[in-house]
Amino acid sequence: MAKKIGSEALGRFYKEGSKVRTRREWRGVKDTAYDFSRWLVIMGTLGKFIIKPRNMKAMLRYRWMANYLAVPMMVDRHTQGLRGEYLRMCHAEQDLIIDDVAKLLDKLFKGDRRIGNDEEFSKKVVLVDENEMTAVMMGFPMLEALSRETPSTYVPVLLNQHSMEYYMDIAEEFGLAPDVCPMPEAEAGVSINDDAPVLGACAIQCNTTCDGSLLGNGVISKRLELEDGIPVFQLAAPLRHREDDVQEYAAQEIRNAIAFIEKHTGAKWDWDAYFECAKRVNLATRCRQEWLDMNKTDYPQVFGSNLALYTETNYMAICGRVPAFAKVDRKLTKLAEQAYKKKKMMAKEYRHRAIIWGVQSHYYFDFLLWLVNCWGIAPLTDMLSMVSTKEIAEVDTPENREQAYYDMAWLTENMIMRNRTHGGYKVLLDELWDFVEEFNADMVILWEHMSCKALDGMHGMFEDRAREKGVNLVWVEHDLFDPRIISRQGVRDQINNYMRTVMREEPLDPSLEVLPDDQSW
Amino acid sequence: MKKKCNCCKLPWWSKLLIATTGIFGLLFTVYFFNLDMKLTAMMEPWLLKWYDHVDRDKHL
Repeated sequence: MAKKIGSEALGRFYKEGSKVRTRREWRGVKDTAYDFSRWLVIMGTLGKFIIKPRNMKAMLRYRWMANYLAVPMMVDRHTQGLRGEYLRMCHAEQDLIIDDVAKLLDKLFKGDRRIGNDEEFSKKVVLVDENEMTAVMMGFPMLEALSRETPSTYVPVLLNQHSMEYYMDIAEEFGLAPDVCPMPEAEAGVSINDDAPVLGACAIQCNTTCDGSLLGNGVISKRLELEDGIPVFQLAAPLRHREDDVQEYAAQEIRNAIAFIEKHTGAKWDWDAYFECAKRVNLATRCRQEWLDMNKTDYPQVFGSNLALYTETNYMAICGRVPAFAKVDRKLTKLAEQAYKKKKMMAKEYRHRAIIWGVQSHYYFDFLLWLVNCWGIAPLTDMLSMVSTKEIAEVDTPENREQAYYDMAWLTENMIMRNRTHGGYKVLLDELWDFVEEFNADMVILWEHMSCKALDGMHGMFEDRAREKGVNLVWVEHDLFDPRIISRQGVRDQINNYMRTVMREEPLDPSLEVLPDDQSW
Repeated sequence: MKKKCNCCKLPWWSKLLIATTGIFGLLFTVYFFNLDMKLTAMMEPWLLKWYDHVDRDKHL
């Protein structure tokens, strides 16, 4: 019966050379009806977006907009094989993220000089990096913190694995090093190709993760400042973020950034709004902590793609600023508790408990779900979800107003990825093995993002430590945004080979072992 | 005098029921056989060709 988990061979929906799958999954009457109803909601969101003439104009202007044709397919990829509470959790997050990105696009095009050209609106816009905590905007409810890179580079790769190849080629055509991380390279490519919306009173860039990121920001800020006349503030957060002696400097950077925004927008920092956001940041932290605690038991609930994609969005891009996310935090926790009480499982069998470490492949984000469906490997948590669990000051007092600068600095220093790839080998190497013990994991799947210099240097140290601890360590190479270097099947093959040759196991769903999805979105 | 066809004689609620069932059936067929994605997959190459002709100030 299709109602039962793992009852359909999921690999049979793929067709050689096709961008899309042959049909959607039959999940039994109740779950299919639910999935169908959510599909209708998504189509409604997309329809409402594209019906506006300025959005249609933008669709015909910006090449990266073509990837949004694939939105429903992205949801299908992340809901593969899911039933009951897991399906509902996935939709609760994905539908909200889709709605949030649609609103972001709508606002970008409203202020964009080429499209809507609403000058009054544009004066209220502060552009922020995609890879940047938006903590510094928590006290500016009257302003719009908009990221151009999120909808032009980050989201398109989740929608269509080939989406950024064009922009990476453009960046290299203009002499940028081809061995740099494809994410900032693609962001630079969008700017070089004149494909970034132009709007805003000012912009805040952050020395986010790496040298590649700094390179990309340089190219983008040059165009913003010198050609578009949009001043840019460089928020330089300390890299050794666990050291006490850098915190005062970090807090001062936040004060400077706030003063910069006030100067260029005329807006005044609002403490009431800040502490409201802080409450929601703490709620998100408590919920995430509860999910992680459940994942330490035999019945993990919010894990894999359901944990990874939502945490990236909620922690970093939202940072307490959107009340709708607090509602979904509660809903996810309720669904997880419900499933936990009933001892429910996402797959028919969990054979291994894995920690996923390193920077994951963006063109294959649903790989985490593939691990569960194909091999019964439960990805309990991933490096990018292991962010700050410290609660920040949320009551408005004179002392807490001073503490708030340190809290915003802490969040900025501990943004996703940066909190592990920088800060010494304790945060990247030592803490991994602490998590292995805490989560009772028997396997570590280590993404080796081949263009990431921050992680490549530690390869041997990970192997030594895995040998000492007797943990199965599987390396999975990828190139973040570029499936031409290592394809999705290339990623899968590394797991398939390990599971067959080292573990001597057979897959739970053999139809998923080899998939003809090279041409797929 | 024109003769009314059988479907015109139906009460309003039956007409509504038939229309709702028809729309549901149509939408569910689109959903289940992934026809929405098959259609947009056909649109993509045309859009990409279109973008090649958009004027841009391309430089570093």
